Amino acid sequence: MTAFIEFRSVSKRFPGVQALDGVGFSVARGSCHGLIGENGAGKSTLGKILGGIHGADAGEILLEGRPIRPQTPLEARALGIALVHQELSFCPNLTVAENLCLGDLPARRGWLDRARLRARARGMLAEIGSTADPDALVGTLSPGREQQLQIAAAVGTGARVIVMDEPTSALSAGETREFRRLVGDLKARGITLIYVSHRMDELFEMCDAITVLRDGRHVSTEPIGATSPDRVVSQMIGRTLSAAQSAHLDLCPGGERLAVAGLASPGRFTGVNLSVRAGEIVGIAGLIGAGRSEVLQAIFGLDPAATGEVRVDGRGLRLGSVTAALRSGLGLLPEDRKRQGLVLTMNVRENCTLSALSLFSRGGWMRRRAERRAAAEACELLRVRTPSPESPVAGLSGGNQQKVTLAKWLVRSCEVLLVDEPTRGVDVGAKAEIHRLLGDLACRGKAILLVSSELPELIGLCGRILVMRGGQVVSEIGRPDFSEDALMRRMTGLAA
Amino acid sequence: MTPRRLTPVLRLQECGIIAVILVLGILLTWFGGTVRAPVFERGADGARHRVYETGADGARVPAFAVRNKFLNAQNLAQLAKDTSFIAIMAVGSALVIISGGIDLSVGSLYALASVLGALVLRHLGPEGSGAAHHGWQGILLAAAACLGAAAACGAINGALIVVLRVHPFVVTLGSMAILRGLAFVITSGQSVGGFPDGLRALVRFQAGDGLTVIPLAAMVLATVAGWIFLGRLAAGRRAYAVGGNEQAARFSGIRVARVKLLVYTLSGLSAGVAAFLAIGYYGAASSGDGQGYELSVIAAAVVGGASLSGGRGSALGVVLGALVIQMIGSGIVLLGIDQNYSQIVLGSVVIAAVVLDNLNTWLARRQFLK
Repeated sequence: MTAFIEFRSVSKRFPGVQALDGVGFSVARGSCHGLIGENGAGKSTLGKILGGIHGADAGEILLEGRPIRPQTPLEARALGIALVHQELSFCPNLTVAENLCLGDLPARRGWLDRARLRARARGMLAEIGSTADPDALVGTLSPGREQQLQIAAAVGTGARVIVMDEPTSALSAGETREFRRLVGDLKARGITLIYVSHRMDELFEMCDAITVLRDGRHVSTEPIGATSPDRVVSQMIGRTLSAAQSAHLDLCPGGERLAVAGLASPGRFTGVNLSVRAGEIVGIAGLIGAGRSEVLQAIFGLDPAATGEVRVDGRGLRLGSVTAALRSGLGLLPEDRKRQGLVLTMNVRENCTLSALSLFSRGGWMRRRAERRAAAEACELLRVRTPSPESPVAGLSGGNQQKVTLAKWLVRSCEVLLVDEPTRGVDVGAKAEIHRLLGDLACRGKAILLVSSELPELIGLCGRILVMRGGQVVSEIGRPDFSEDALMRRMTGLAA
Repeated sequence: MTPRRLTPVLRLQECGIIAVILVLGILLTWFGGTVRAPVFERGADGARHRVYETGADGARVPAFAVRNKFLNAQNLAQLAKDTSFIAIMAVGSALVIISGGIDLSVGSLYALASVLGALVLRHLGPEGSGAAHHGWQGILLAAAACLGAAAACGAINGALIVVLRVHPFVVTLGSMAILRGLAFVITSGQSVGGFPDGLRALVRFQAGDGLTVIPLAAMVLATVAGWIFLGRLAAGRRAYAVGGNEQAARFSGIRVARVKLLVYTLSGLSAGVAAFLAIGYYGAASSGDGQGYELSVIAAAVVGGASLSGGRGSALGVVLGALVIQMIGSGIVLLGIDQNYSQIVLGSVVIAAVVLDNLNTWLARRQFLK
């Protein structure tokens, strides 16, 4: 079997994380090649490098034995490589036909030739057996239809390789069936597919070979016949857990601090019930899109459409109001610290006290000395490495920025902390410190609800883990039954 | 990992603007040339008299002195007065810009507040029907009408932006037209004058050689108020946070809607203050007043270092920015360049300021990444 595409020790570094570290494997012509790994394993990054969105820092990619280095999606397209991706969508204000021919609009002396445009688009859609209306506005299409359009555009422009990143994550069941048929068609035409997903069932149904990535490294590439879902799961995890156990796990949790009953938000999640007791860290595991962050944000009052009951220390909480959530003692460490956590134009001190301005002001005037002292104390407690609390927060490393977002809630002395991906994009040292800190907070009787894509983090810190899938809590696992295998099976839907 | 420090290239933006002001001043002094101006002196009764001297043929001729066109007390006093109206509005506008918004309606708001205040003043003036009330009460009443209307218009701007979730550019573009139209309808396009004398005398009170103290004092007060708001009050911190990252502000429990409502109200109020001073100074108001002020005001804020993407800026910087804008405007008159060029120059200055600011950010970021 000759290699059609070959990756040779491809590496890519993002600020704070080594996304890919010397990844090498090859893909056969006309095959559907699965790429699987945990969140953050580097599978999407690899797809984006092939599709020309990111450039690799080191290593090379060979296409039919010739090294290629696509710098833009357009260059990749010229090489016959197309990326089908939810983020790379079309112009919603133009029609299907206009979008499909956007790169080469048929025109006569500058006048758009609508008849030719429509005919060409219809031809492209027919190629892949799509029944989409060429005159429909793209903005009115379902995600499945839009994806078909991306594939039609790829096939229509002569793509030989199509990279699909989580293609079914936004599709309905019917659309997914249609999509599987389409994948078969594409393979029959000799198009090579690189299929990035963490849905085990789909991979085993459609792929000819599977490559497993873990922490940016290549673990294995095996033909589908030589592997099994169980084997892939163990390859995806493949880590030994650190033996050190946080002290809070030895303590008996106290009274219930956070109680959520029947929390729902249309289109995001339904029927979420959970409770967190004093001194307890409860984890929520799930794949991207399972609704984990949405649940935290709804509890924190950021989702106006949320319904249900939330009680903090026995008192009912008005949903949809962050002010009410703050007053009741809730704090949220958001998943995206740059967009949701920090004001990058401000310095460390100002960020530390952002959520506690009323505590540091009297009659509207800032109590500057108290503010400075609180910020300095928080920085010291969290070991934020900054030249001074007056330094701009934008100049700190990812780990230290994350500590500042956490400091915001310590300064307010929150009683119930909702923590979303606390160590994403954080270096190893800071990660251990954040883990230690969350353990300390639990020891002091705070209740913590922890969302994380890193299973070792959940297993290391939590007393119980809830697993979410498709907007619902599907199971709850107690500490004695923790294993990455058990979690991964429930997250992917292999086990209930 | 050792923390890296983000060092802006221009560490103190205000220093840069002061340098610009000095350079402009020197250039205008140098190229402005000289003018023969009559000499006055203050008599024993406090009134100004021409000074006469005896010529070679023994006749009494008025004395003239040769003075620099730019660098003379009278011109500088006038520059300070002109700057103060723009600067007061610019401080209010800067609050909006720092919180990530924009207020295009300040010029029209100024006009509407002017004519409303002027109508009250005319009613209380010598020819008005309410002349019985004249005196301090009347002036206070007019001030209340002027400032109250302006603040209310600002609050309506803010409310529309918050409630309808429409981009501030669109809302204030609309209110810019609406408020100007209202001012026109109220006055039927006529100039409104005939105020009580007290106000004019007060606002025009001069110390030294033509230095009007009241507008200047108001400008200083507005600067101090802006500085306190931005640097010392929790509300100012919230404005910076909303402008720097609205989502993070919301995630931190800041009530973004309230912050926006407040800054637009204050922007309106500052336009009202400027309007009241102006009607007091000029003794009349018409619906055409404050035409194009939004450009001067936004230019002042931008030149003064307020970032149009929000989160950055200072009250002092903005006031200095207003001075730069005014110096450019009066420089054009002084150098005898066609007035029509001032718009072109002003527009270019705004774009140049933004480009310089971007360059500065870019350099800082490059230094940071190294």
